Amino acid sequence: MLALINRILDWFKSIFWKEEMELTLVGLQFSGKTTFVNVIASGQFAEDMIPTVGFNMRKITKGNVTIKVWDIGGQPRFRSMWERYCRGVNAIVYMVDAADLDKLEASRNELHSLLDKPQLNGIPVLVLGNKRDLPGALDETGLIERMNLSSIQDREICCYSISCKEKDNIDITLQWLIQHSKSQSR
Amino acid sequence: MGSFRRDKDEEEDGPTNAYQNLEKTSVLQETRTFNETPVNARKCIHILTKILYLINQGEVLVAREATDCFFAMTKLFQSKDVVLRRMVYLGIKELSSIAEDVIIVTSSLTKDMTGKEDLYRAAAIRALCSITDHTMLQAVERYMKQCIVDKNAAVSCAALVSSLRLASTAGDVVKRWANEAQEAMNSDNIMVQYHALGLLYHIRKSDRLAVSKLVNKLTRGSLKSPYAVCMLIRIACKLIEEEDVPAEELADSPLYSFIESCLRHKSEMVIYEAAHAIVNLKNTNPRMLSPAFSILQLFCGSPKATLRFAAVRTLNKVAMTHPAAVTTCNLDLEGLITDSNRSVATLAITTLLKTGAESSVERLMKQISTFVAEISDEFKVVVVQAICALCAKYPRKHTVLMNFLSGMLREEGGLEYKTSIVDTIITIIEENVDAKESGLSHLCEFIEDCEHVSLAVRILHLLGKEGPFAATPSKYIRFIYNRVILESPIVRAAAVTALAQFGASCPALLANILVLLGRCQMDPDDEVRDRATYYLCILNSAKPELYKNYIIERENCSLALLEKALSDHLNGDLESHFDISIVPKAAIVKPEINNDVMMVTSAPRAPKITREEESAARLAQLPGIQVLGPIHRSTSPIQLTESETEYTVQCIKHIFAQHVVFQFDCLNTLSDQFLENVRVDLTLPEGYTARAVIPCPKLPYNELQTTFVIVEFPPDASSSIATFGATLRFVVKDCDPNTGEPDSEEGYDDEYMLEDLEITVADQIQKTKKNNFQVAWDAADSEEWLQAEDTFVLSAVSNLQDAVNTIIKILGLGAANLSEKVPEGTHLHTVLCSGAFRGGVEVLVRAKLALSEGVTLNLTVRSTDQDVAELITAAIG
Repeated sequence: MLALINRILDWFKSIFWKEEMELTLVGLQFSGKTTFVNVIASGQFAEDMIPTVGFNMRKITKGNVTIKVWDIGGQPRFRSMWERYCRGVNAIVYMVDAADLDKLEASRNELHSLLDKPQLNGIPVLVLGNKRDLPGALDETGLIERMNLSSIQDREICCYSISCKEKDNIDITLQWLIQHSKSQSR
Repeated sequence: MGSFRRDKDEEEDGPTNAYQNLEKTSVLQETRTFNETPVNARKCIHILTKILYLINQGEVLVAREATDCFFAMTKLFQSKDVVLRRMVYLGIKELSSIAEDVIIVTSSLTKDMTGKEDLYRAAAIRALCSITDHTMLQAVERYMKQCIVDKNAAVSCAALVSSLRLASTAGDVVKRWANEAQEAMNSDNIMVQYHALGLLYHIRKSDRLAVSKLVNKLTRGSLKSPYAVCMLIRIACKLIEEEDVPAEELADSPLYSFIESCLRHKSEMVIYEAAHAIVNLKNTNPRMLSPAFSILQLFCGSPKATLRFAAVRTLNKVAMTHPAAVTTCNLDLEGLITDSNRSVATLAITTLLKTGAESSVERLMKQISTFVAEISDEFKVVVVQAICALCAKYPRKHTVLMNFLSGMLREEGGLEYKTSIVDTIITIIEENVDAKESGLSHLCEFIEDCEHVSLAVRILHLLGKEGPFAATPSKYIRFIYNRVILESPIVRAAAVTALAQFGASCPALLANILVLLGRCQMDPDDEVRDRATYYLCILNSAKPELYKNYIIERENCSLALLEKALSDHLNGDLESHFDISIVPKAAIVKPEINNDVMMVTSAPRAPKITREEESAARLAQLPGIQVLGPIHRSTSPIQLTESETEYTVQCIKHIFAQHVVFQFDCLNTLSDQFLENVRVDLTLPEGYTARAVIPCPKLPYNELQTTFVIVEFPPDASSSIATFGATLRFVVKDCDPNTGEPDSEEGYDDEYMLEDLEITVADQIQKTKKNNFQVAWDAADSEEWLQAEDTFVLSAVSNLQDAVNTIIKILGLGAANLSEKVPEGTHLHTVLCSGAFRGGVEVLVRAKLALSEGVTLNLTVRSTDQDVAELITAAIG
């Protein structure tokens, strides 16, 4: 009975305080983008995922915020299409495999060339260094330095080190995202 | 769904088409709505409909527009509205071939096709296959396999049909799905079973053994789906045709007994398919046909219009191949000529026309004229084709038929329909002298009001050719000159040419023609003026030989070869003049006349390439071929081996002015042998000199390769008739049948005897067709021309037509003025024919034949070369 009342209350709340946000998730292939969406949507971690061919569109409800996530494939042939899906979103989430040091440079170049697009001016960016559970993974400071994030001055930018496997820092990531939903940001 | 219904209501309010005045740019602007959140499903559906409407109306989107539109559309995947999603699938399919980067939706579509919502799944599969190229196929292969065996019939069908489509680009991948298709064959759903058989057959198509195994298995078990049975019948027929089983053995073949048993199937569709298959089989006998024809006969009386139509259409198609069997259905067909369905009635009447007796023609024509105005153009063409065949069969009926055709010409109709009528009338005129006058006057009347330029030009050309020899040529002048006043430049130019023909061939009219041509010189169009000036100049010269060469008998060079000769000339030293006589005349390509003329054939007419043009392109690659000059003629291939031997060789002779190039097409049918250095060794008769042998370096199993021998003709034409011994020589290496790689470097020499080759008179002569033989013949009675004459008794032939055919075949000449046809019941006949001997020597032949005990032949040959003239007279004896 109580549960029912709670649900009705939730429903009322959602009518009056419902908020929506839209974000695009990009980054090189095998950095853990689709895994991340699954983790924030259901809390489940699955080890082996098939590469995303194209994009996945997911709607996730956290409290009274509905997050629309465009999870775009990271293979080279999709990178030219990232921009199309980043236009007009509330935030861009850029996933980096913090444990794969060889790919960091490529990742940095892709990020900077994406953010150079005039259409994406001023959109907040959250850089996530995934796989911190693996040995040799970079932490936030390492990432900021290697990704040359300090050079980005024209927008809000933030960097967290997370692990989808251990569910480390997923909560602060979500918090950052919810803060950037429509009502807060505009 | 709700939104869909409301849309419909709105449409009913306004009777006009809401999509009529759409503009591409504004619709593409509207696609911005797709980016809005939340998605307004109803509005987006409307916009998508507009886009689809535009594309289907033939509006072309450039790649950029399509890509932008496509990516905007992908944003709609966030909406859960079912109708919207399905519209998005349609949009994806339409744009998949134009937009770039369409693979972006792969993941979303695979999610939909494996998801829970059944309404999405089938459509998602179809959309997925339209965006997938073979590089992406691996990624979706697993899902496709799952979907093929899905228990939802719609999903399974969609997957099977999509696989079939993918098989055309990615055959190897789809081949791996055979097990799944096999499993789908066991489905209870009739459509799934049908599509599964289609896919399975496609996968195994190239492997005959696998196909016959498949068919044998399925013919024993009972297929549930009537569609699948129909398909199986077709596959079985194909196997029978490929094996080419003779009629006696066919009755015992399991494939045939399967088809025969399908005549007693419970589904009408299957029964019809079986009957249709049997009557169309190549090797059958009356006993096998009769049950099939009884089925068709039965269907003719069916209350269902579709069955009647199917039966009568089939009868119509086979009326020429099995006339006797179709005649047994005549009574039923008679019943159908008043059928309320016009298509059935038309087919019934045309079938009767094909099989019926001469006496019934008039009655049937009367019947058909009552409703000919009501049937569609396509069926009118069927009627015209039937009339064309009738005219050939019953020449005496030409007045009735010609009147009917002219009536049809006067009515409204499309170009194709009008063309078929004009074709028919022209055919009748050419084949039946009695019909010429009336046919020409009908055509004259037609061009007075003819909107089709191509037809008007053809008719004017025909008038120019035939008109001057009619009883009163002057009556055509008015019709032709009217064209000069009233029509477009192309028609005016054709009319000027036609006028000039009259001027050249009818001295009585010359003065008038000159006046008319003079007026044409004022024409605003360049081409018309040029032609008028050209013809005036020639006609004013008053030299009949100029008339003949430049107006009546214009040189019909093969254009492709003329172009080649001109470009060779330009690359040469340019010191000498270009000699047009060395360019081979365009061979007269006669349309193949066979029984098909009476069928509904809509095959596009491919531009005809003569053998000479084809081989010129091929021979141009040979080293040193240029010195031989342009090609004169290529013979048709001759087999030098039996068809079922180890090596098969066929020979084509390419005749040049002084040389002959033998082209040997060799095929190695032994899978364990690899041949090298393959060449043909010729034993040359006296006078011939070998110039070059071009061997074929490698001849692997089952590949057609070519080797050439170039030989020079003897200087005197009279010894050019000769026989050559031929031997195929090569180096054999044993090889692995699977890879085709030779086992070792070592090989041994071997040879293979071929049948003897011959060079005949006909080989060296290219047919020409004189429009007016008499003019050419008379002009040849001069100093430059030489004449040879001889009389023979042909004892081997018993009638005139055989004699004419033999003469034309031996000499390889083209007959003029329809003289190759001997009228019935005559004892005397004259054949007039002409050709060009290699080196451009013109040859005219008049052969007078008389039938007595055998056939007596008086042959007169006129040619510019004495040797050639004698050679030709000698060839007959």
